[in-house]
Amino acid sequence: MEIIKTVNLTKMFGDFTANNKINISVNAGEIKAIVGENGAGKTTLMNMLYGLLKPTDGEIYIKGNLTKFDSPTDAMASGIGMVHQHFKLVPSLTVYENVLLGTEILKTHKIGKKSFSLRLIDKQAEIKVVSELIKKYNFNISAESRIKDISVGARQKVEILKMLYRDVEILIFDEPTAVLTPQEILTFFETLRTLKKQGKTIILITHKLQEVMEVSDSVTVIKQGEVIGNLLTKDTSSKELARLMVGRDVLLKVDKEYRDYEGKDIVYRLEGLTTKNNDGINVVNNVSFSIRQGEIVGIAGVEGNGQSELLDMLTGVLKSTSGKVYLKEREITNFWPRRLRESKVAFIPEDRYEKGLCQEMLICENMIAGYHGNEEICKYGFISPKKMLDKLDRLIDEYDIRVSNKDGLISSLSGGNAQKIIIAREFDSNPDLLIAAQPTRGVDIGAIEYIHNSILDLQKANKSILLVSSELSEIMNLADRILVMFKGSIIGEVDAKNATREEIGFLMAGIRKDSKDEKVDRKAKTN
Amino acid sequence: MKKWIEKLKLTKTLSTLTPILIAFLIGAVAIILAKESPFNTYYILISKSLFNIKGLLKTLHYAAPLILSGLAIAVSFKAGLFNMGIEGQIISSGFVVAMLGYRLASLPAGVLIPLLLLVGIIVGVIMAILPAFLKAKYNVNEMVVTLLLNYAIYSVLEYLTSNVAFFRDPSSGYVSTYVIGSNAIISRIGGSKLTIFFFIVMIVFVVMYFVMKRSKLGFEINAMGKNRSFSEATGMEIQKKTMYIMLLSGALAGLAGAGWMMAEKFSYTLDFSGTPGLGWDGMLIALLGGHTPIGILVAAIFYAALKTGASSVAIYTSVPAEIIILLQALIVLFLSIKFFSNKKTKKVKKEVKANGVSA
Amino acid sequence: MELVLKILSDSLYFTGPILLCTLGGLFAYKSGMINIGLEGMMLFGGFISALVIFFTGSWILGLFAAIILAILLGLLFSFFGVTKKANFIITGFAINLLATAVGKYALALLGTNDINVINDVVRERSNLDIPIIRSIPYISDIFNGQSWFTYLSFILIGVVSIIIYKTKFGTYVRVTGENEAAARSLGIKVDVIKYLAIIASAILCAFAGYNVAINQLASYTPDITAGTGFIALAAIYCGQGSPKSSALYAIIFGLSRALALNLSLRVGSIAGLLEIIPYIMIVIVLSTVAIIRERKTLYRGFINE
Repeated sequence: MEIIKTVNLTKMFGDFTANNKINISVNAGEIKAIVGENGAGKTTLMNMLYGLLKPTDGEIYIKGNLTKFDSPTDAMASGIGMVHQHFKLVPSLTVYENVLLGTEILKTHKIGKKSFSLRLIDKQAEIKVVSELIKKYNFNISAESRIKDISVGARQKVEILKMLYRDVEILIFDEPTAVLTPQEILTFFETLRTLKKQGKTIILITHKLQEVMEVSDSVTVIKQGEVIGNLLTKDTSSKELARLMVGRDVLLKVDKEYRDYEGKDIVYRLEGLTTKNNDGINVVNNVSFSIRQGEIVGIAGVEGNGQSELLDMLTGVLKSTSGKVYLKEREITNFWPRRLRESKVAFIPEDRYEKGLCQEMLICENMIAGYHGNEEICKYGFISPKKMLDKLDRLIDEYDIRVSNKDGLISSLSGGNAQKIIIAREFDSNPDLLIAAQPTRGVDIGAIEYIHNSILDLQKANKSILLVSSELSEIMNLADRILVMFKGSIIGEVDAKNATREEIGFLMAGIRKDSKDEKVDRKAKTN
Repeated sequence: MKKWIEKLKLTKTLSTLTPILIAFLIGAVAIILAKESPFNTYYILISKSLFNIKGLLKTLHYAAPLILSGLAIAVSFKAGLFNMGIEGQIISSGFVVAMLGYRLASLPAGVLIPLLLLVGIIVGVIMAILPAFLKAKYNVNEMVVTLLLNYAIYSVLEYLTSNVAFFRDPSSGYVSTYVIGSNAIISRIGGSKLTIFFFIVMIVFVVMYFVMKRSKLGFEINAMGKNRSFSEATGMEIQKKTMYIMLLSGALAGLAGAGWMMAEKFSYTLDFSGTPGLGWDGMLIALLGGHTPIGILVAAIFYAALKTGASSVAIYTSVPAEIIILLQALIVLFLSIKFFSNKKTKKVKKEVKANGVSA
Repeated sequence: MELVLKILSDSLYFTGPILLCTLGGLFAYKSGMINIGLEGMMLFGGFISALVIFFTGSWILGLFAAIILAILLGLLFSFFGVTKKANFIITGFAINLLATAVGKYALALLGTNDINVINDVVRERSNLDIPIIRSIPYISDIFNGQSWFTYLSFILIGVVSIIIYKTKFGTYVRVTGENEAAARSLGIKVDVIKYLAIIASAILCAFAGYNVAINQLASYTPDITAGTGFIALAAIYCGQGSPKSSALYAIIFGLSRALALNLSLRVGSIAGLLEIIPYIMIVIVLSTVAIIRERKTLYRGFINE
């Protein structure tokens, strides 16, 4: 039975067509994957199905009935729920408060026969309801924990509970595995299958093709706002899907040359680097490693295990409480960002529009930021506009950046081109060390190829690179050595050439190879 | 592409003019309440201050401190620092200059005037140090601190002027310090109200123009106001720059206070800065001028014209001169919203945001 | 002893309006909109109530007018700040400027320096004489005979706490301030919540204005608020948005005003200088709180606000 059908669904933003006459149909009880590149229009489509955006044209049928949603509430009333990639949870509230947000249970008071409500929330009743729901789906979390204290996997469960409480039949998941460990992903797939067994319909938006192959029943491919393929999962392959998404054959793996760095000079060295967050907890704990000349060291790990804080420290935004950093045997601990750049360290920050670029500033201004005091551009405290524009022209050319309007703002660029601005700016400073964090997050496959190749080119020029990424495949493709971070510490190191996903996955979950059996044992005993 | 730029400028002009028009429309209601004709009142307001030479020179004279206080507000607001202490810095500087202008009256004008201007600047800087330090070092909310310090500064100066014999001129009919010596007075040009001070301000203006538009500091001020994380990550050292910017702002305010004293007021009285005060006028001017130097120049002259005209309005009609502060408040109110934000860019931005969430 | 009792009693007297503004400001603060216009909203409240009482002689009408104007101001601020996405810091400032400007213009039109309502309201009538308290020595001197707005302001600490933390509306206000996207995704009407929070904030400020202009001074001039709105903001910043600790700071600031007043009555000509005590003390308290808080962060440039 067709539970969702769209007919010529179209969404325009000004002149830009985000979705063009989309026709899809989803059968009841199936797991439907919707794949496409970043910016292909997947999210726009889902936001229309979930009532967050109104279609410009076209119709949505739910169980054969023409439906119009004005808000997510309408969608939920029609049985559609959505689990966003970035969870819509309130950190300071508890699990039960988050699950019931918007549908609070109120206390009623009685005086004699008359009952009335002071609009006070009935805490006990709320805890009871949510605990029962958790039990029913076997979710293994506590209703009274605060969101800020629980793991990412548990948070995702809260999001799912939120929807289940509202009795939805159709669950939309937007990039659900982006923040999970390989093992958590397996648990998540189990949850999906359980939900399916209970008769729910699932729509999975993703760009990870292995996952599509593993868990879905059918696939719809979207490219540039249009449906270009409807396939049954069992009849297709990752390769075919990738070709459909990009429009050409894609090398899913770059050419990487492995060498032995044993005898090379140490360029970068960390000794017991430690820092605290505002609550006084050590978020980075005693991190030590070194990078040799020409080597790429990757740091893998589930997001939120101290990578961001480590990066902030290494880029000079956050102070360390103890430990030392050396660049070519010169101590650079707690150097400010300006002095780090002067010492020939370049950065590709984790959050592009937060630390890397300023959306509301001009492209040329962003192209010199961080190096705007260099003699090349700035004399006696004044910046030469001509030299600034010259540099822009030169780098746009050199790095093949597609800019429709050179006098425009950064906000006019696509994610990939914006990232290339950072790459051009940082590579042009001819650094001894590059610290690259999530270099390809949110950019399309073409740009990923480009960025990966330029990082490898930098390596070929004998530069050292620290690569921090939550995309395991990215690290496995680029790095020579992989360090895994867990709860603020480096929990293990593997040789990239021979590493397996599973091996790294266990480390990401905090399980050391040598202590694995022991841990399992202990668990068995406590049970 | 040129068309596109022209369009953008038109939008900019329109979004500046609309708040003024709306404010004048609402102001018209207030004028009708005073049983006068709005047209006549507005005509007097503008014609007396802009459409004759004498009035125009007077307007420029009044514009001089306003340009400085507008710049003082703009450099800090643009960097995302709400330094509301301009008013306190102006009156402190005025007070100290009044005192020294009387006590050092024997010095020759060629020495005394530059000295007093310098003293004014230093006083402005000193008054800015505390909030600047607290903000830069400990992130203490600069807006609340500067505002509360304004009340404190005003009270102290009121006390000194009215109760301390060293400062108070007993021969004056109202609360006032001694009048500064004639060597401390910045001379007028010809028979007009305009003084050399205006030209000093213009020199400062040109310097500030280049500082804001071309300098490394200007670049960093712009970046700090737009994205603090970005600024810190690209090595701008926000805390240090916060200090610089707040002190620069104080210096400009101090110069404004000194100049106003030596070119117009000559003694410190309780209404030295007027109503609602040069510092507050500066806020309107900076906003109206979109925090750009040229914008501030135009806005300062425009507002000075209103101020000059307001006294004529009070003379020729029964509308109180307070109409001007009403208009000022209304303009600030309507300036806080963007009337003509480019709809297309807005939508594209929204879309970028939506995709940003998914990406 | 008498002086101490007098200071404590005056502290309550001065705390009333600060507390009302603080609690009002909290609603807006919790919903993610910092209301810089507290001062102006309070001043407008004092102005309109004095004006209405001056012409009608009825304090009920005066209070009613203050509430109506507060709702209008709240709508204005919300329309600008929420619907039109204005820079609400500037909007708030504009409301402050407007409050002064309207007051001054009106006074100029009326040809007077203040709106005196001393003949229309008997100040003592608004002061409550509570029999139980009256009979207790010392306590009576401090707590009895305050204006009913003072009592109300203290009762409101608990009420506001309950509204913010225990009710549906309060939860929505907090959620809106903390994670707007989460609220929106569940169909909570974020904008409506903000409107309501701001209007609540405006009404409490109007009460503060009424309290000062009518109960305390029985006259209106455009400087009666003397920074109360900003003092309330300082209390909110110091208390980090918690109703109880913000209220505590409001009380401390009230105490400092009482100290300044009582000391200045005894020192002769230097009295004028003591007016600065509350302001300086607030700056010191605010700085101390901020210094303690910021010492914890290792981030440079305070970007993690």
